[in-house]
Amino acid sequence: MKISTRGRYGLRLLVDIAEHANEGPIALTVVAKRQNLSEKYLQQVALLLTRGGFLTSVKGSGGGYLLERKSEEIMIYDVLDLLEGNIAFEEPPGSEENAIERVIRLHFYQKLDQEVKKVFEGLSLCEVTKAQWFTYVI
Amino acid sequence: MVYLATCRENCSIRSISEATGISSGYLEQLMIPLRRAGLVQAERGVQGGYRLAKADITCKEVLAASEGDFEPAPCKNCTRTDACKTHQIWSLLQSAVVDFSSQVTILELASHLVESEAGGGI
Repeated sequence: MKISTRGRYGLRLLVDIAEHANEGPIALTVVAKRQNLSEKYLQQVALLLTRGGFLTSVKGSGGGYLLERKSEEIMIYDVLDLLEGNIAFEEPPGSEENAIERVIRLHFYQKLDQEVKKVFEGLSLCEVTKAQWFTYVI
Repeated sequence: MVYLATCRENCSIRSISEATGISSGYLEQLMIPLRRAGLVQAERGVQGGYRLAKADITCKEVLAASEGDFEPAPCKNCTRTDACKTHQIWSLLQSAVVDFSSQVTILELASHLVESEAGGGI
């Protein structure tokens, strides 16, 4: 599994907006400069994140994007699930799945996905911006 | 590897191919990095073939040998790593995957295979 550009840029956008939440709506031009990312690409990702209920857009001069919810309530798993379509190693079984493939799918990939889900369901955007959670690792 | 774990004797590429559905040509290619990593042994001759080189092989070892280390995002040569908070998300994902796949052994998966066959689960 590789996280796509959409997933990586989308999270950087959310983290950037969360870190500057006290500055009001954030224009994508500003994020593009700060993060050294293409503004055009950010527009596409921002649209997706808005439809997904993570961002809200404010029109007009001084407009930009705000978090739709508190960063404590935005879970990294939900964001990745939206941006990546489906964050999983397990692939749906083909019509001719044999016994070995089945065992590996059910007892390895499926459990691995549960493990990854567990980690990211418990991780909020707020914790990422504060980086308090880093103590979790091993 | 799971199939090899169920075999008592050396397995020919042909029998592995029949059991797994992987083409012989691709199996030959897969065996190269697996042998190099010390995970399978090959023997020539009439009774020759492949077998697991040791008992406690983990999924992590097999995946690392055949696919390289798991890197969910291209952070390796990035200069922003220290300041980038999303980088920490990817290293968390990486350790979750590496930790889990280090805990699951090929023998354990093979034992599920034997169970499912015994129960007529194929």
